[in-house]
Amino acid sequence: MTMDEQFSVVDLSAIEAFIWSEAELLDQGNLRQWRDLFAEDGKYWLPASWQQQDPLNHISLMYEDKMMMAIRVENFGHRLAPSMQYPLRCSHVLGNFRVLTDSATMITIKSNFQAIVYYQEQTLFAGTYTHQLRRLDNGYEIVEKRVDLINCDADHRSILIYL
Amino acid sequence: MSYTSLELQRLVEPHRVHRDVYTDPQIFDLEMERLWRRAWVYVGHESQVANIGDYITTTVGLEPVVMARDKNNRVQVLYNRCGHKGAKVVTQRAGSARVFRCPYHGWTYRLDGKLQATPHACGYENTDFDIDNPCFSMQSVARIDACRGFVFACLSPEGPDLLAFLGDTALTINNMCDRSPQGEVEVAGAPLPYMHDCNWKMFVENLNDAVHPMVAHASVGHATRKVVESLPEGSPVPSEAEIISPFGGSYEFFDSMGSRTMPYGHCFMGGKGSIHSSYSEIAGYMDAMQASYGEQRTTEILSQQRHNTTVYPSFTVKDAIQIVRVARPIAVDKTLVETWHFKLKGAPDEMLHRTITYSRLINSPGSMVGPDDWDCYRRMQQSLHSDASTWVDMRRYLGRNEPDGNVHVAPGTSDESVRNQYRAWCDYLLDEAQ
Repeated sequence: MTMDEQFSVVDLSAIEAFIWSEAELLDQGNLRQWRDLFAEDGKYWLPASWQQQDPLNHISLMYEDKMMMAIRVENFGHRLAPSMQYPLRCSHVLGNFRVLTDSATMITIKSNFQAIVYYQEQTLFAGTYTHQLRRLDNGYEIVEKRVDLINCDADHRSILIYL
Repeated sequence: MSYTSLELQRLVEPHRVHRDVYTDPQIFDLEMERLWRRAWVYVGHESQVANIGDYITTTVGLEPVVMARDKNNRVQVLYNRCGHKGAKVVTQRAGSARVFRCPYHGWTYRLDGKLQATPHACGYENTDFDIDNPCFSMQSVARIDACRGFVFACLSPEGPDLLAFLGDTALTINNMCDRSPQGEVEVAGAPLPYMHDCNWKMFVENLNDAVHPMVAHASVGHATRKVVESLPEGSPVPSEAEIISPFGGSYEFFDSMGSRTMPYGHCFMGGKGSIHSSYSEIAGYMDAMQASYGEQRTTEILSQQRHNTTVYPSFTVKDAIQIVRVARPIAVDKTLVETWHFKLKGAPDEMLHRTITYSRLINSPGSMVGPDDWDCYRRMQQSLHSDASTWVDMRRYLGRNEPDGNVHVAPGTSDESVRNQYRAWCDYLLDEAQ
């Protein structure tokens, strides 16, 4: 076993814990702290097409940088937004973590998720997460979180929170 | 049908409309029969079927259809129904085929819908089966026509031709295409579908409702301002903020945009100015336009700034940002809204990026604007069942519009566009003849 592979194995449980805690912040509806997990150049991407390659030339359900995330933090739960006058709760389950690429500075890790969202009615979202993480001295920051829904191109109703 | 003409007439008054038009399934059935079968309904864009054999599937009213490019390079719109047992022949949203083959008993059709072969044909000997009889084909809709590549279908052989139907709204389609240095647009990728729990008319009426943005979309306006103000001094205004901010515009801003209504229920807002007027220039675009059109014509093209143009009942277009939204009714309380994005041929990629960004911020189910509209429609659809009152109001600026040729001009926050839609609605619904 090479040093690199050993490094991945040691690292994996810490990375899993990081991604679980990220999902927990969504479960708590704590978008402000959730946003803090992202790098300054961080992106959140929810594609609208299967195996979508391009967020700029093709529509996505969401593709947000930290500035857009800041707007969403301010808008989330806003008393003037008609769509926000309902309880919104979610429950994430994550698993099947596998490392796609790994280096001293960056790691790309894929996982499967199911997110049950209660908003007016209960909806089950499922698919994969692909996290690009930057290693920091004291942990990680998210460079990109890509969420591929198995029904990315279905006739969705409103999606009020990051998945 | 249980509604007489008189009963239908009583549903629409000059200043209000009866809630049954939004909630009664029998009215919905009548609309599908008398309105959606007689109006020109948007099908798709020719660039989606660029090559022979290319096809897409969609609906015209409740009718499933296939739009395909046939062997003679003509665009066909066919009922998506096998001439044998009635199965839907094509289920993919888009693709390419040499023939259409029903997967049930193997009847095959040419791209123009004509039945080509049936397996084990000996069974039809000595019956009156005739392979050339159109009743065994995938039948073509009554009429197909296009405006600058935008294909519309009419299920009725009678009525105005497409250009007469479109009237002044064709100028919006023309303007969107003229904004390409090559004078052509093409569809950019798959549409963005968004399922709404409301009657189709609520979505269509909202497009030219300029009294709701400052209320229903106030929160995202506030949130955007707050974040932009927190940026370091001298920061450029992010393009996202340029797009969102006008949704928090004042009543006076929307009034001054004006609302223009015309025959068949169509309307548009803006003209000289709209919510799209203050976007930053994109490098290289002006140069490309002026190289194609010269300075004067370029200025003419870019000075047309329409907000939403509604081609009643199905098609809405934003020329200045190259977005088309299509209403696909499913049931009295269920409507699919498709957003399509168009690339200006010959323009810098950044123009398409802005179109995509706009749609993601405003039209997407995951946006901070669409869900507020979505929720308001849903609230109406639920509460219109209340017997507290059975009427829905539409009297803002009643009687204060001014004729300008075939077009009537009213203040932007007028309900005139809705009243105009119900005048067309009555024309369709009260005509019982088939």
